[in-house]
Amino acid sequence: MSATRLTRYGMCCSKGFGFMLFMMACVVWTDPAMAHRSTIFAWVEGDRVFTESKFSGGKRVREGDVIVYDSEGHQLLKGKTDDKGEFSFEVPAKTSLKIVLMAGMGHGGEWTIPVSELEGVAGAQVEITPSQNTARKMTEKQRDVSHLSSNEIRLTVEEAVDKKLKPVMKILVELRENRPTFRDIFGGIGYILGLMGVAAYVNYRHKSAEIDGKETD
Amino acid sequence: MHISEGILSGPVLISGIALAAAGTAIGLKKLDYERIPRAAILSASFFVASLIHVPIGPSSVHLILNGIVGLILGWGAFPVILVALMLQAMLFQFGGITTLGVNTVIMALPAVFCYYLFGRLVSKRPRIALPAAFACGAFSVFFGAVMVGLALMFTEENFLKAAYLVVITYLPVMIIEGIITAFCVAFLKKVQPDMLPE
Repeated sequence: MSATRLTRYGMCCSKGFGFMLFMMACVVWTDPAMAHRSTIFAWVEGDRVFTESKFSGGKRVREGDVIVYDSEGHQLLKGKTDDKGEFSFEVPAKTSLKIVLMAGMGHGGEWTIPVSELEGVAGAQVEITPSQNTARKMTEKQRDVSHLSSNEIRLTVEEAVDKKLKPVMKILVELRENRPTFRDIFGGIGYILGLMGVAAYVNYRHKSAEIDGKETD
Repeated sequence: MHISEGILSGPVLISGIALAAAGTAIGLKKLDYERIPRAAILSASFFVASLIHVPIGPSSVHLILNGIVGLILGWGAFPVILVALMLQAMLFQFGGITTLGVNTVIMALPAVFCYYLFGRLVSKRPRIALPAAFACGAFSVFFGAVMVGLALMFTEENFLKAAYLVVITYLPVMIIEGIITAFCVAFLKKVQPDMLPE
């Protein structure tokens, strides 16, 4: 390559890198609520399951569809998140619950609550199928509150623990957010430049093999 | 514009993978070694572009930059966008691995299409080239939004409703990308005009 072509190529490369640096500067100086992944987080408190849906970076998912399935994939209930991205519902059945969020335009997320987390749900202690759901609701209402059985004590303790855990859950929701770190960005760019290096090396081998072939003629 | 895992049906995912594979094969064939450095830089720019957030109402959108990628690389947009999307999926969990094919087609096919539509106009004098560049950037995003609607058509509501929603949400991005593409073309015309299509 002639000297002028080399300098032009070098200029172009440096300007290309300048462009990239400009892009990364934009990343730093814009609103850090960059979002392109939606996540849903769910926990059990007493009889209810609370969910919070967010885009990665903190923005709440408003009017997103939340669908709850049981362990066999049957749909148990459906709802919409409110303005704060929250949606709560009563535990419909004592099976593992798969909670799916559809935030629209192709965004989605899911969270599974295992059966073990539903142990404290008031009412039956035996695992029941969704078809017995209505029967269980009736026995709950007929429960006599004045008895202080060990079951009652256990439930009271669970309620108190749930109340204490509520702020902890909120903290966990905040902590879970993993917006792209600089490490990830540099890693990705590194991979791309590495691929470019591999391609350039293959090209070099190809070209030098060609040149060797011509010289031996 | 990245579609997450678990939203699209199997046939849509498989046809996405097939189309992306075909496009990438064509792209790799047409991408000669001299153009690899610029392909790498464009891939890195595309990779970072999704982190530039444009706040818009209840949802959130990001820059895409497939317009300038298509304009400079043509069919090479397919392997470049595929690599960037794969890294985004693995490192940021944007989009997904099963939806890699569909997402590649959604973003690369409009790029190639706009390359064929506007490529020839960009090498003319600035009065024609800059509006063409703006149109290229804007329409790449527009067709991408339409393709998102197409992909979602087989899962969610009807095509018109889904596509309309996506297009309206990405309208600001279209304008911003048009401006960015126009600036890039203006700059390249001065510095290295042979980067732009003939």
